[in-house]
Amino acid sequence: MSFAEDSQNSAPGSVPANKLGGARKGAEPGLNAAKRLQTELMQLMTSPAPGVSAFPSADGNLLSWRATIEGPDDTPYSGLTFKLSFEFPSNYPYAPPTVLFRTPIYHPNVDFSGRICLDILKDKWTAAYNIQTVLLSLQSLLGEPNNASPLNGEAAELWDKDPALFKTKVMDRHKDVEDD
Amino acid sequence: MPAAVASQWRDRQRRVFQSVFPTDVAQPTSQSTPSTVFPGPGHPFGGPAASLLGQQQQQQYHGQSPRHPPGEQQQHPLFRKAPEPPLQTAPAQPLFPPAAADDQAAYDRAWYVVTAHIALPPSATADDSFGTTTTTTTPLAPESQQQEQQQLSSGRRRDRAATTAASSSSPGSSEFHDAFALLANASALLPHATRTGDVLAWHARQVRAHFAQHVIPLLGGCVDDDGGDEVESGNDSEEEEQGRGRWQAGRKGNYYERHMVIVMSSIRTLEAAVRLYFYGLSQLLSGFARLADVAPGAAMDAELLNARFRRDLHALVSGSVSEGLIRSVKAVLVRLAGTILGIPSHDDHGGLAARPGPPGPDDLKVQAARERLIELVQQLHNVGLAGERFQALFAEVMDAMMSEFVMGAYAGLWSAPDTRSFSATMDTVSRGASLSVASPCIVSLNDWVENHFARLSFEVLACIASNSHGPLPVSLADLKTYQSLALGRLAALRIQELFDIVLAWPASRPALDDLRATITTAARRKQLTNSFSRALQTRLLHPGCSTLEILQTYISIIRTLHALDPSKVLLSRVEPGLRLYLCQREDAVRVVVAGLLASPEEMRAARKVKEVWKRQREKSRQDEPSHGGKHRKKDPSPFTTPGPSSTRTPQPRGALRDVTPEMETTPSKDTRRAAATKLVELALLLPNDPSSQPPTRRGTTAATSSSADHDPDHLDWSDMTWLPDPIDAAAGYKRPRSEDVIGTLLSALGSGSGDVFIKEFAAVLAERLLLVRGEPAARFEQELRVLELLKRRFGEASLQACDVMIRDVVDSRRVDGVVSRRGKAAGVTPGGGEGMEYHARILSRLFWPGLEREHFLLPGVVVEQQARYETGYEGLKSRRKLTWLNQLGQARVEIELSDRTVTVDCSPVEATVVYAFQGGDDEGGDGAVQKSVEELYERLQMDEDLITAALQFWAGRGVLRRIANSNNTYMVAETLTEPSTAAAAATAPGAAADQPMEAEPEPEPAAAAGSKQGVPAKERERRDMYWRYIQGMLTNASASMPLAQVAMMMKMLIADGFPWSNEELQDFLGEKVAEGEMEVVGGKYRLVRK
Repeated sequence: MSFAEDSQNSAPGSVPANKLGGARKGAEPGLNAAKRLQTELMQLMTSPAPGVSAFPSADGNLLSWRATIEGPDDTPYSGLTFKLSFEFPSNYPYAPPTVLFRTPIYHPNVDFSGRICLDILKDKWTAAYNIQTVLLSLQSLLGEPNNASPLNGEAAELWDKDPALFKTKVMDRHKDVEDD
Repeated sequence: MPAAVASQWRDRQRRVFQSVFPTDVAQPTSQSTPSTVFPGPGHPFGGPAASLLGQQQQQQYHGQSPRHPPGEQQQHPLFRKAPEPPLQTAPAQPLFPPAAADDQAAYDRAWYVVTAHIALPPSATADDSFGTTTTTTTPLAPESQQQEQQQLSSGRRRDRAATTAASSSSPGSSEFHDAFALLANASALLPHATRTGDVLAWHARQVRAHFAQHVIPLLGGCVDDDGGDEVESGNDSEEEEQGRGRWQAGRKGNYYERHMVIVMSSIRTLEAAVRLYFYGLSQLLSGFARLADVAPGAAMDAELLNARFRRDLHALVSGSVSEGLIRSVKAVLVRLAGTILGIPSHDDHGGLAARPGPPGPDDLKVQAARERLIELVQQLHNVGLAGERFQALFAEVMDAMMSEFVMGAYAGLWSAPDTRSFSATMDTVSRGASLSVASPCIVSLNDWVENHFARLSFEVLACIASNSHGPLPVSLADLKTYQSLALGRLAALRIQELFDIVLAWPASRPALDDLRATITTAARRKQLTNSFSRALQTRLLHPGCSTLEILQTYISIIRTLHALDPSKVLLSRVEPGLRLYLCQREDAVRVVVAGLLASPEEMRAARKVKEVWKRQREKSRQDEPSHGGKHRKKDPSPFTTPGPSSTRTPQPRGALRDVTPEMETTPSKDTRRAAATKLVELALLLPNDPSSQPPTRRGTTAATSSSADHDPDHLDWSDMTWLPDPIDAAAGYKRPRSEDVIGTLLSALGSGSGDVFIKEFAAVLAERLLLVRGEPAARFEQELRVLELLKRRFGEASLQACDVMIRDVVDSRRVDGVVSRRGKAAGVTPGGGEGMEYHARILSRLFWPGLEREHFLLPGVVVEQQARYETGYEGLKSRRKLTWLNQLGQARVEIELSDRTVTVDCSPVEATVVYAFQGGDDEGGDGAVQKSVEELYERLQMDEDLITAALQFWAGRGVLRRIANSNNTYMVAETLTEPSTAAAAATAPGAAADQPMEAEPEPEPAAAAGSKQGVPAKERERRDMYWRYIQGMLTNASASMPLAQVAMMMKMLIADGFPWSNEELQDFLGEKVAEGEMEVVGGKYRLVRK
């Protein structure tokens, strides 16, 4: 009811504005994305989640972030830290960011160039997700890989068959990346 | 006819020669007779040598000729000259037929007679002959002067000269006329005289030579002798003022007189010379006149000759005027014109000149000056000094006068100048023409231009007009031009003053009328905005001005410029710099919000202050003359217009004070200070704000919000005051409908989405809503009105939180009533154990800003009350729980001490602290209760800083007293006197502090930035957050960063802005380094890996 009223009220003013502002339309989402990211950053800073952190990259581009995940305890990744990169599209949060592992990782759902197979980063993405939820999902993915759709078949196999070998593969593969 | 051919040929040759080498006019008659003007080969012609020779011979001649009257002498030159070179050098002479020779001789004779008659006195030492002996000049006839001078050379000459001079009918005179007739009619009477000459040209040449040789040195002498030392100071007449000032000091202001003497003596000299020259001419002309009867063909138009001669002579004179004389003339002109135009000169009153004003019609001084000036100009005209050069000089002087008058009469004077100017005749031609709505200044200026300026120009120019029948020297069109020039000057002045006008608003309204009437062109508008922007930069927008001052000035600017230009284009030109600067002022939003929400008391105080100002202003206007005098003194020179707002140093406060000196003397300083701490203007404006009023008619629709404004079809066709958009309006310009001060201010500060503004507003609103008001019926009308205003601007949604806040407070009041009623009904003794009243406000946590929980233990009684309240509330609203915010709210504490009772409104924290002193644990009873900070900390679990602050608060109230030998131990001050009588206090231990009569600690957020105990917590919170940012940055973005990059990132990434300077950030990072959290490697900060 109230919604209907609202849209009626705004209709006369907003329709011509949209028509007129056609040229600006392209720029606005970028601004909105930046604003949204700023807000998310504020949230991350005021209520940080343990084991994950993220921050815009040093070149000052708000659409490009760097994140860190600490390997959860009781997983082969315990004690390791992983760096990730986030690239946000200009229509974020209406499209998912592109997330890559920058730290080499041996994981069933991550390929050797760092690409991740995670549904919420693809077709299951909604605007309700944010960086923090993505990071937490990734963190939990480290402990509970989705072996049904592996990117790294060997890892998927080893995960169940030979955890010790898996662990050594993880340790072999892992190496700290320095900043570029 | 070979001879004729030869003579023709020779004649032509001679003319060619003469055209190339003009005959030495200084030569005496004998040598410049036609027979000798043609020097033979090998003979020097008119070079320096020739003129030297001429001079010698001249003297020789003058030594002789006076002895012989011209009649007896007629043979003389021929006798003398016949054997001499001239004849030899004319080898063709013998070839002449006898008749030709006779004619030629007769002609030469006649030539000699005539030229000798009109020859000018050589007067090598002629200082006395004419010139400086001004007293003798007028009555003497030219002849007598000549004669007087010749007396020197020969005594014998006297009687004869006297007879010559006596009348033109004397034998010498008739002889002259006969000879002249011969000369003039030579072609008829002496047909064979081939070498003829033009006696008029000869006279002109001799005049020129005489002028160059004798008069010019004399003129130089006039300037040098009379102006002596003055000339030196006159050399720097460009920076005349300083020199003048100094000279005035020393020489008692006879500057003008000395220049007048120079001018007058020069005029006398020239007059005498001119008379002398015209004597010769008149002789010649009289010859022509006589001839007219005899031989009309030979006669020439005397009028024409006279005019031509006069023109030549004037050209000669004006071409040879020295700089010194020009300076003197200028000085005299300045003085006289100044007096006539009502511009006081600087030497009158020892440099302290009064404001210029149009002189009255019957001012004797003015009349005298006018007559003097006209006479002077007439004289100058007569001697030929009133040429183009003089006219340029006069124009220059008049131009300076106009500037001077405008600067002097209207600078800083914004309302009508005194009534004197209106008592002057007002029968201006232009009145009512186009200036029907003109401001007083413009009317009086136009009046001045017409009745004084143009009149003087007219009179002077009429004097020097060449012919009196020509067009008027000053036409009505010229008058209009003058007036528009004057208005231009006025506009420039007002533009320069605009900043002061803004500061003095609204007393300066008439000045704006001036401006509005004069700012007519786009160029002037541009000049105005440029100049004003500059003034803003130097006088307002710098750290010396408080935000409040800037905003107050901004309001004045809005109103002033709106009054000046309702289209607001000017305002929009000036604004950007101001807005940009205000964005740097963090507290600007807070000041505006606080101003909007100013309480009625503050508004009353502000009104009172305003009235006091007004009264002061009126008072100061009454003694304006003295003020004006002081102001004028600063003005350096009548000829230098002070640069645009130059003389004022960019001292903001000083400048502000300069304009409103009354402020300093305002008696009610307290009220002023109260008003000065808040931008109450906004609250005063609020009821009149157009956007807060319902649209009554279409014209006054809220300018800011209504969508009708965006509708291009929304034109009021019946708006008779409609004007086209200004020419300099920007693209997309939309005509505003009203002054809309608040709207402009809000849009300036809340540019963009207005987030900052809304946030600040919410904080201030929260603070205000939580203040417990004395009158419970407070309806938050003002808050609601401001909220409505903001909603219109920023939209309902963004201000939803504020709506909730207000509703919370209103609701909780109702809930509170219900809860306490139920409590009573339930039989619980109202007010707990000790008659304490307890009220609470229930806030929706999500919508209130800054709700921090500060942990400490409330006194037991209060906790009891809280518990009871909680149950009451949960009974009312099921499944809801209360979370108490103990530090918010207010408590009224009544403290009974042994000799007095103190009632204080304080914060719950303070109440809790003082409650701890209540004599619960009077161990020993050997004195008043003592507590140290540590004890209180253990007992209350309160932050130590808060405890200390609270203790200091009570110590300030005289309730607690710090024990002398300990740092942080306080005791109850039972008596106001020193605690020497500790025993006395001990007698009443029970009564130590029986305090909480009414305590109303209310769980709510006061935590607006202002509240005392909120600040440390908030600050700490902020630092923590920054630290997390830095950690996140160094973990993810880059492992190590230099300080500047950290600062840059922080500024970019923190939505609310990052207020720290690099230094502050460096200190902060330094702390972290000291704590071992960070390290500095190679000038870059990085986190310590653990």
